[in-house]
Amino acid sequence: MKKKILVVDDEPNLTRMVRRGLEARGDYLVMEVNAGNRALAAARNFRPDLVLLDVMMPDVDGGSVASEFAEANDLKHVPIVFLTAIVTRAETQPTGSVIGKHTFLAKPVNLDDLITCIEDHLGK
Amino acid sequence: MTTLHDIDLFMEKWRNPRGGEAAMLIVAIAAMIACIGVLVYETGGTAFVWLNMMYLPIVLSAAVFRIPGGIVSALAAGLVIGPYMPLYVPRGIEQPASNWILRTAFFLLIGSFTGVLFKWLSMQFDRLKEAHEELTQAHAELQNAQMELIQAAKLESIGRLAAGVAHEVKNPLAIIQLGLNFLEATLDGNRDVKDVISEMDEAVKRADGVIKGLVDFSRSEKLDLAIQDLNPIIGNSLNLVRHELVKCHVSVETRLDNSISPVAVDRNKIQQVFINLFMNAAQAMENSGKLTVTTTEKELSKKELSGFFRQAHNFGEGDRAVMVEIFDTGPGIPEDKLDKLFDPFFTTKPTGKGTGLGLSITRKIMDLHDALIDIRNREEGGVAVNLLFKAQQRSASS
Repeated sequence: MKKKILVVDDEPNLTRMVRRGLEARGDYLVMEVNAGNRALAAARNFRPDLVLLDVMMPDVDGGSVASEFAEANDLKHVPIVFLTAIVTRAETQPTGSVIGKHTFLAKPVNLDDLITCIEDHLGK
Repeated sequence: MTTLHDIDLFMEKWRNPRGGEAAMLIVAIAAMIACIGVLVYETGGTAFVWLNMMYLPIVLSAAVFRIPGGIVSALAAGLVIGPYMPLYVPRGIEQPASNWILRTAFFLLIGSFTGVLFKWLSMQFDRLKEAHEELTQAHAELQNAQMELIQAAKLESIGRLAAGVAHEVKNPLAIIQLGLNFLEATLDGNRDVKDVISEMDEAVKRADGVIKGLVDFSRSEKLDLAIQDLNPIIGNSLNLVRHELVKCHVSVETRLDNSISPVAVDRNKIQQVFINLFMNAAQAMENSGKLTVTTTEKELSKKELSGFFRQAHNFGEGDRAVMVEIFDTGPGIPEDKLDKLFDPFFTTKPTGKGTGLGLSITRKIMDLHDALIDIRNREEGGVAVNLLFKAQQRSASS
């Protein structure tokens, strides 16, 4: 069964590229959301196994979105990976680093590293 | 300007003659007095114009040797014209002895007065010269301070821009990166296509390197200071760049003084400074060379502060400081490029080999530590980088 990944980023080209890359591997079903304030509703509808979340978005920042997920009983178990430009590759491991309670992946990310990070969180 | 400078040099030379020059002047003045004496004898003391010529060597002597010179030359002149007194008697000219005494006294008066006058003038000249030097130095310091301010303002605005630019550029880079990975996985095994994708992938990494530099630059404000020894940080930094040094066939000599005082530094940031400098040195000596790293502790002199470390406003004369000297044997830096070294995006490396941010970041980190950096070409070839940190008291427990 395919794993569901919700990608939240204000950059449509980026979410599209993530979707293409992940779905091409055949193991993932990806939903794109290009506004932080629609992430919660989309997640309730899509029921993702993991959320890839941008930090700096024009409407709401990724930290607030993560807090909303943490407060929602039906979504608080969903792992969140921040895919962000606010950290550099040198500051994080290629497959993500835990900063605080969350894992951070630095943009630009290599598709293989992204998949390794997702699989680590999904317990594959 | 040249003429004024020449006059200044001439005045400086003859205002306070030393050794051979002084002896030459004494001989010349003595010869003048003797010659004028002969002329006075020859005219039997009647041609007073020759007698008055005696003032010339007296004034000259007083001008050069001040009061002693004026007095000695006046006495010498008096002695020389003394014997002519009997000469004019046979010629029937009446000249009382008191006339000679009066004349000698007048010589003494003129000699002493001229000596005092020239001593006063010389003192005024010295004061003016000192004031001029102070003004020149103050002007140079003002110019340096102005340059520092301009540089600081430039760096600050670039720092502010950097974070925003970094964020905006990373998203498109991420799209390109993921797109390349997608294409790589979906296209057939055409070798040319794979090569193109691989080159594009490298280009993305290079652009990401520039962005990393910008982010480093914009983030280097916060320091985690601790009192610690510099030598282990230097050793660790050398270990981290060992691969680059070996690749460039660079040998390393360290002369680290184990008795130096500790300094207050952010270990990671100062390590970044050393890594930047060692990498620059290694890359400058691409085909072999020697990197020498020295640490010393010294008491700062005025000369070092005013000349060597021109931006040394945080240091005072007599302050104890730890100095790190890094020498390479590379080709050096073109003189016209030395002023631009710390400018962001300035690089002497070939395209793609450097972001031009390394030394800007290095300078910024040093500024944050109230420490100094000076880069200059060495006379014997290569580049000398000098870093100066304030020495701290070693705590009782360390």
